[in-house]
Amino acid sequence: MLTLQTWIVQALFVFLTTESIGGLLDPCGYINPESPVVQLGSNFTAVCVLKEKCMDYFHVNANYIFWKTNHVTVPKEQYTVINRTASSVTFTNISLLNIQLTCNIRTFGQIDQNVYGIRIISGLPPEKPKNLNCIVNEGKKMMCQWAPGRETYLETNFTLKSEWATEKFDDCEAKRDTPTSCTVDYSPVYFVNIEVWVEAENALGKVTSDHINFDPIDKVKPNPPHNLSVSNSEELSSILKLTWIDSSIKTFIRLKYNIQYRTKDASTWSQIPPEDTASTRSSFTVQDLKPFTEYVFRIRCMKADGKGFWSDWSEEASGITYEDRPSKAPSFWYKIEPSHTHGHRSVRLIWKTLPPFQANGNILDYEVTLTRWKSRLQNYSVNDTELTVNLTNDRYIATLTARNLVGKSDASVLTIPACDFQATHPVKDLKAFPKDNVLWVEWTAPNESVNKYVLEWCVLSDKLPCNPDWQQEDGTVHRTYLRGNLAESKCYLIKVTPVYADGPGSPESVKAYLKQAPPSKGPTVRTKKVGKNEAVLEWDQLPVDVQNGFIRNYTIFYRTIIGNETAVNVDSSHTEYTLSSLTSDTLYMVRMAAYTDEGGKYGPEFTFTTPKFAQGEIEAIVVPVCLAFLLTTLLGVLFCFNKRDLIKKHIWPNVPDPSKSHIAQWSPHTPPRHNFNPKDQMYSDGNFTDVSVVEIEANDRKPFTEDLKSLELFKKEKISTEGHSSGIGGSSCMSSSRPSISSSDENESAQNTSSTVQYSTVVHSGYRHQVPSVQVFSRSESTQPLLDSEERPEDLQLVDNVEGSDGILPRQQYFKQNCSQHETSPVISHFERSKQGSSVNEEDFVRLKQQQISDHISQSNGSGQMKMFQEVPTANVFGLGTEGQVERFETVGMEAALDEGMPKSYLPQTVRQGGYMPQ
Amino acid sequence: MKVLAAGVVPLLLVLHWKHGAGSPLPITPDNATCATRHPCHSNLMDQIRNQLVQLNSSANALFILYYTAQGEPFPSNLDKLCRPDVTDFPPFHANGKEKARLVELYRIIAYLGASLGNITRDQKVLNPNALSLHSKLNATSDTMRGLLSNVLCHLCSKYHVANVDVAYGPDTSNKDVFQKKKLGCQLLGKYKQVIAVVAQAFQTGDLEAYSDPRS
Repeated sequence: MLTLQTWIVQALFVFLTTESIGGLLDPCGYINPESPVVQLGSNFTAVCVLKEKCMDYFHVNANYIFWKTNHVTVPKEQYTVINRTASSVTFTNISLLNIQLTCNIRTFGQIDQNVYGIRIISGLPPEKPKNLNCIVNEGKKMMCQWAPGRETYLETNFTLKSEWATEKFDDCEAKRDTPTSCTVDYSPVYFVNIEVWVEAENALGKVTSDHINFDPIDKVKPNPPHNLSVSNSEELSSILKLTWIDSSIKTFIRLKYNIQYRTKDASTWSQIPPEDTASTRSSFTVQDLKPFTEYVFRIRCMKADGKGFWSDWSEEASGITYEDRPSKAPSFWYKIEPSHTHGHRSVRLIWKTLPPFQANGNILDYEVTLTRWKSRLQNYSVNDTELTVNLTNDRYIATLTARNLVGKSDASVLTIPACDFQATHPVKDLKAFPKDNVLWVEWTAPNESVNKYVLEWCVLSDKLPCNPDWQQEDGTVHRTYLRGNLAESKCYLIKVTPVYADGPGSPESVKAYLKQAPPSKGPTVRTKKVGKNEAVLEWDQLPVDVQNGFIRNYTIFYRTIIGNETAVNVDSSHTEYTLSSLTSDTLYMVRMAAYTDEGGKYGPEFTFTTPKFAQGEIEAIVVPVCLAFLLTTLLGVLFCFNKRDLIKKHIWPNVPDPSKSHIAQWSPHTPPRHNFNPKDQMYSDGNFTDVSVVEIEANDRKPFTEDLKSLELFKKEKISTEGHSSGIGGSSCMSSSRPSISSSDENESAQNTSSTVQYSTVVHSGYRHQVPSVQVFSRSESTQPLLDSEERPEDLQLVDNVEGSDGILPRQQYFKQNCSQHETSPVISHFERSKQGSSVNEEDFVRLKQQQISDHISQSNGSGQMKMFQEVPTANVFGLGTEGQVERFETVGMEAALDEGMPKSYLPQTVRQGGYMPQ
Repeated sequence: MKVLAAGVVPLLLVLHWKHGAGSPLPITPDNATCATRHPCHSNLMDQIRNQLVQLNSSANALFILYYTAQGEPFPSNLDKLCRPDVTDFPPFHANGKEKARLVELYRIIAYLGASLGNITRDQKVLNPNALSLHSKLNATSDTMRGLLSNVLCHLCSKYHVANVDVAYGPDTSNKDVFQKKKLGCQLLGKYKQVIAVVAQAFQTGDLEAYSDPRS
């Protein structure tokens, strides 16, 4: 009860709602036509009619109507106001398939109100269906097909209509998914003509195809023959008989057939001539077949007059023709194997099994006969394909026949020559090349008559032995292909041997690939020799197992780390190559690729660094340098050896033993050496060093007055020279330190000192661990002139005074000197400095120079030693001047000569002026 | 009872066969016009001969299929149960003229067609699982429809015969099962016998007709 009430309430609600919505949805007008379908490209006019009620309510009329298509307002030019309530719109050349057209009014001047809307469907009328054709599959119903024509863009129905002359059949409506075909509902009736046509219809029209009138039997596609069987004949090995069962349609129509056959392994079919199978039958005998060969057959049929369709192919059936005797003698060859028996040889006779098309049956066995000369030796019946026999070294003739169920083949004859037989006449122009996936061998026959050719081949490998396969060709053949299972990328060594009546000829060999491939490994390159600008690379030939083809060339790629890669092609016959124009001291990366006809393969990368110097370059530098050094050293040694005394004088001077010193009696007029210690004999040759050793003998009796006089003179002289002292500085190489207790020595050393570079500082050091009691001079890096020592001659004088007053401790000075490379500079500098500082004492200097010149003139007359020193360059004058007193004289003379064009300067003051200069 | 048919509209006839009506069709007036839906084909006689061959080739198989499907005692008593003793079967004169033979053929096929309609109707009830028999009966009926169409078309187009009196066999709808089977077997036996004669007659008749101009 409650359910009923609920249902009633719901129904009432739905009713009221519907009524209210219906009232609300009552349109203000309508569009005519309601559901138009128009043809593409045609014109279309729609009319919108407003209702009076609506017009009054909104205070509008037809002038207020505007149209929209797909929400876009249509231009007013296309409007036509028909009357107060109706307005039309016209569209020309409609191209859109689906148009939404709405009629609208503008109320209250601003509110657009939709009045009504329609959808315009566009399309094309159907075209006349063409190519109507029907097929009657036997036992099934008739199906007709046609071409529907252009796209109509509309729902188009295709109806297949059919009728006899006396009655009409039901229409066949094509299904939506297959609008181009239809299968009728009724079974076909043969031998009654039927008329068929197609009607195509859509909203824009209906069109009918051409009528076709036919007998369904002329459109039949029979069922294929079935139960096809094949049988052979023992009488004839070349025939097979086919039998089959036709379809039931053959009871009232005549049939023709197609029979096709092929061997079992073939892919293409052969066909029995159609004229042989143009009539109804249920069997056929196929002739000219190969013996003992399996054939596959198939058959199909159709109406004999050619009207209708071929049936599908029947199921395939196969049969084997009967055996026949082998049609060809087997290929026959031999190999002589090493034998240890003297006078005999082991011969391995080998032959090939006949292919099925030549065996013509199952080969039961092979019969081998061996004949030496003309006497029959032995018969063998062999099931295998080889026979090893021990033969003498004589000539043999072997024959071979194959036997099957029907008979024997022809005999294959082979001459096994005697041991001393010399094979000759090889084939010429032997070539091998791949073509059509087989390896062809071609040769030019020798001039002699050849019975047959034997081709042997094997895979060349570094790992596996040559295991030859072989085949035999007739003597007329000069081009064949290898009938073995050849592999790609393998190198085959092919040997062709012509076989003559008296034995085999000389074999010829050739290498070939069935199909080349890029090498499986690239060559490993390495350096054989690396130079500064070149490198000799070498590599090994690739093993034949990895070549995969004929190596046509190598390519060497090399580059630096930052540089571009450079490629060089190298002929395959080479195993080394020299890279030139390389940069020294550079890391190079090199790799190598080997190329066959099919591509290349890179080998591993190898790096090397070019040396900074070429081979021998270092030696070329070092050896001369070393030689020069050695030579210099040798010369130095020789020089030192020659000058050892001088060196010793400088380095290991004879140091006077103070304990053996005596108080000297000084006299400036006393000859200096009249009473020398015997040690002074070493200087007897006048080659004095700068070290002047003064040994004052205590028993040298001289008048005190003379001593005083000479001392006074000395002091005077010293005073005159103190103003010219330039201080202590570096000296030239040959100038050496000189133990000096006199100021004149200081002055002399000052003349040998570089005035601008080095000065000496006075340090206290002893000689040979002796405690120095006086100042000694040491080099200083300072460029500050040691004015103090220069400008305070009193210090020196004080020293002199000390010495003079002491008279016991000898005072020595050593100059540490540099080598003589810059001898001239100090001299020049000295000149300069001398010029600056000599203006005051110029008068004294002139006097001194005049005296020196006069001394020089007086000294030079009788001295051979002087002549020698005159040849010394001026720059060395001062240095050389240190070697002795005589030398000193010459130096002064030279200086005087130079002073004519040079500024005045100080000169060494160790000249003796008219006698021994007391120190 | 023999009812003469004054003329037959083949379509109606066929429709009646399809529905298995056993009663003869009404007679059409003699002066009915000879009209077809489209012009008849020119090789109608060839088609008729082929149709007769087709019927003849399948008649025996249909007969065997029928009595086999009926089961015993029919297969073992063919002589008694399936003896072609069919009364009122239209006559056929093999030596007659083509027109007469075509008219007689028309009557025979019309009679057989109606009878096959009855048999098909009965067998669908009596042996609903004998689909092969049903198919064979339908195929034979269809062929007979085509044969009738060709014969009528030929009579109409060549001999301007628009009306042929036809007679039908007895209505079996009120018979018992055995009688239905027996009548069917007898009719098919008769059909096998007659169609062979007719087919042969039209083959021979054509040869005679072909030889007529020479003689």
